[in-house]
Amino acid sequence: MIEAKQLVKSFKDGERETRVLKGIDIKVAQGEFVAIMGRSGAGKSTLLYQLSLLDEPSGGDVFVEGRSTRLMSQNEEIKIRLLSFGYVFQDYALLPELSALENVMLPLLMQGYAKEAARSKATAALSRVGLLPRLLNLPSQLSGGEQQRVSIARAIAHDPKVLFADEPTANLDRESSARVIGIFKELHAVGQTIIMVTHEEEYARVTGRIVKMDDGLILSDASSRA
Amino acid sequence: MFSLTNIRVGWFLAVRQIRRASLWTTSLIVFVMLLTFLNLVIVTGILVGIVQGITDQFRLLETGDVYLSALATEDYIGNSQEILSLVRSLPEAEKIAYRTIAGGTLEANYQNRTDFSEKPNSTSASITGIEPVAENKFSGLAKYVAEGEYLSPGDYDAVLLGSQFVDRYSFGEMPTLTPLKNVYPGTKIRLTVNGSTRIVTVKGILVTTANSPLALKVFMLERELAQLAGRTDQNVDEIAIKLAPGADAEAFRDLLLRSGLGEDAKVQSFLDAIPNGIAEITNTFAAIGNAIGSVGLAVAAITIFIVIFINALTRRKFIGILKGIGISGEAIEFSYVCQSLFYAIIGSGIGFAILYGFLVPYISAHPISLPISNAILVAPVPDTLIRIAILTLTTIIAGYLPARMIVRKNTLDSILGRN
Repeated sequence: MIEAKQLVKSFKDGERETRVLKGIDIKVAQGEFVAIMGRSGAGKSTLLYQLSLLDEPSGGDVFVEGRSTRLMSQNEEIKIRLLSFGYVFQDYALLPELSALENVMLPLLMQGYAKEAARSKATAALSRVGLLPRLLNLPSQLSGGEQQRVSIARAIAHDPKVLFADEPTANLDRESSARVIGIFKELHAVGQTIIMVTHEEEYARVTGRIVKMDDGLILSDASSRA
Repeated sequence: MFSLTNIRVGWFLAVRQIRRASLWTTSLIVFVMLLTFLNLVIVTGILVGIVQGITDQFRLLETGDVYLSALATEDYIGNSQEILSLVRSLPEAEKIAYRTIAGGTLEANYQNRTDFSEKPNSTSASITGIEPVAENKFSGLAKYVAEGEYLSPGDYDAVLLGSQFVDRYSFGEMPTLTPLKNVYPGTKIRLTVNGSTRIVTVKGILVTTANSPLALKVFMLERELAQLAGRTDQNVDEIAIKLAPGADAEAFRDLLLRSGLGEDAKVQSFLDAIPNGIAEITNTFAAIGNAIGSVGLAVAAITIFIVIFINALTRRKFIGILKGIGISGEAIEFSYVCQSLFYAIIGSGIGFAILYGFLVPYISAHPISLPISNAILVAPVPDTLIRIAILTLTTIIAGYLPARMIVRKNTLDSILGRN
């Protein structure tokens, strides 16, 4: 499904160059639920951004369904992000002037769905995360946990091949976090591929595989049930 | 670039951003657009209106809609009485004034003058003989009498002086006109026309703007002037005709010419009779107005640029997220173009309504009194629509550029708020 080979990411600050990823090799198969863990600065979010094509690596390559992304045009990458990927961000990243329903509809409209079809799919996605009664609420009228569920609905409404989640429970209380992780578990159960960055052991354990990172390198990559 | 999907998504975003934006912010931007629109139209409109005010006064007080004057080779309009009869019989001619004109001199304080080496208190003048009732019906001349009274049909030795002849109202000396001192209603002055002298009484003083045709005229009864000038042919020098509402001046002029009046008189529509140079002055004032208006346009463009730039900059994270989840940059840019378009159209629309619903009719009914003329607001609808198009186009560009600048930034940098 997704594979990274010798992935390097470095940032330049004047003359100084900082390598955040130091040659990562990782392969995620379809249907897997992977947790990427590590302490702050380990490079886990940076790895997620490279795998999800939100950022360009400084070296190495990312393959999506066997295709190298190094040779892809920006438009092709945008198309993959739109059609094949779904994103859940730590701070929900909802548009404040769009209702829950409209936030979920937006990428569907971009994919070419007619308004009614987009509305119908968005409603179904929001129903899946238990937010049917809050369709018309603006993000400011929702709790943090509800906003994150809208964010998940937006990410899954178009049935993406891979769902990327960057610390989705970091800003949530225990109850909301548990609910979000519960949704991920349900999605995984029906075959959704999920790659999630988290620093919470408890939530990592519900995934099938834990990749531990430190200092830009993978320290361990093992089944969470091992 | 702006595919149907991009337009659809851009519109979807724009409508909601506008609908849920702060009412105060939206009102303020629309207000700026409104002021810019009015600045664009009104500055030019008033400048042109100053000249228009002069020409309108000329039409109101002097030429009417169709104007007959002596042929270049003649001293007066031949067969004047037959022409007047013909014109009076035509239903389009609503008001008719006829005038006799003669050059003369006026001398005031002639009785008190003791030192004959001093410059006399006198001036040359164009004396206009009128039939007071017809003239007042034609031009409303009586309402310009600021001091004294208007002429009566039975007057013998009465004159009305234009403001330029009275030093306290005059805008200064002119090459052939020296304002008279110590002249009031009731003052006796010596009038000399064609070698004949008559002591006349100042019955009234007409006060108008400097460029009004009344300012440089002296009025007396037509029959008295004709007698003074030794004219016995009953011909006149000018016939001015105001047409009934809806009648076309050019068509009426052509009708008179077809009737053979061109052999005895120069027949002109109001536009033909506009003094030379007025069109050039109008164009000059319009150019000045456009120059001033374009400064306003630049200010509006910069305002919209800053507003959209700040809006896009503060929303940079959201723009990054939109791009991250696959919304194209073009769709995001289009949403900002739509917002700019909204501000321009609403601002211009309100301005248009204020302009034609209030300003134009109000200023037309109550001209702005300026020393040079009674200015009106000239704003032809086609010209205003062109200005709206220019304002809209400028606003679109001013909105598109900052949106593009922000959208082109690295997606992840935008999401993470990195510079």
